[in-house]
Amino acid sequence: MSSTFSGDETAPFFGFLGAAAALVFSCMGAAYGTAKSGVGVASMGVMRPELVMKSIVPVVMAGVLGIYGLIIAVIISTGINPKAKSYYLFDGYAHLSSGLACGLAGLSAGMAIGIVGDAGVSFGSLRPYRGHHLVFSGRPI
Amino acid sequence: MAATFGDSSSWSTALVKISPYTFSAVGIAIAIGVSVLGAAWGIYITGSSLIGAAIKAPRITSKNLISVIFCEAVAIYGVIVAIILQTKLESVPSSQIYEPESLRAGYAIFASGIIVGFANLVCGLCVGIIGSSCALSDAQNSSLFVKILVIEIFGSALGLFGVIVGIIMSAQATWPAKSV
Repeated sequence: MSSTFSGDETAPFFGFLGAAAALVFSCMGAAYGTAKSGVGVASMGVMRPELVMKSIVPVVMAGVLGIYGLIIAVIISTGINPKAKSYYLFDGYAHLSSGLACGLAGLSAGMAIGIVGDAGVSFGSLRPYRGHHLVFSGRPI
Repeated sequence: MAATFGDSSSWSTALVKISPYTFSAVGIAIAIGVSVLGAAWGIYITGSSLIGAAIKAPRITSKNLISVIFCEAVAIYGVIVAIILQTKLESVPSSQIYEPESLRAGYAIFASGIIVGFANLVCGLCVGIIGSSCALSDAQNSSLFVKILVIEIFGSALGLFGVIVGIIMSAQATWPAKSV
């Protein structure tokens, strides 16, 4: 029964919190990027409706950040199995730091995508479109 | 309860004294409470812009209620996951409450609740902000509605990510079998 549980008792707390951090912070970044560039697209679209579909690129980039967080959260969460494999505090802290790394990087990338996307679509409407979407890929990968 | 290596640090000594039912209950409360907070925040951001824009362009009202529905969906995700999490609670005999396996189940439900709650909070905010600009741009030019709605759909996917991870993590909440 529980005698097969090997490892430290509180280690899963840190492991699960790492998975939570990965998803929550990445979603915060994705939400910020989507919202900020979405508002820019909407206000630009009033003047130039034909550019709206091209300007959705920063929104897609920001959405991908949420998927990164999802993948890391699932990998961490399925790796916490003290019955199959010993789960010590070392493993718990490692999962916590990997979750924080993914999450906080996703948060910062999302904020960057939001600010740059908003500025890019707003100013891009002033000139003919020349494919400046390359600057939107400020992502952590 | 055998002393393990981890007990020598102060974090562990404090954490093992907290009942897993405390963690579970707080997790379930956060799952539904913070999700509903996100939905409400999004709805009032969208709703106030929608009502204001509809003064000059009354035709936008019925179409733009979709933005409000997207925000509401976030609250429904929170309710569903809270119900699923509370079915994962089992009663264990009091001698087994502080077993490592019970503690792990409590932590899993807690983390699952945090994930769902805060992912839905930011999703609701995101959809609310985009919904408000959707209403305002629709009032100017009705061909923009469907295009901005595409952006809103990307935003609402974030709540779904939270629900998926929350449900996957809640499968880890296995309590020790009762010893007779």
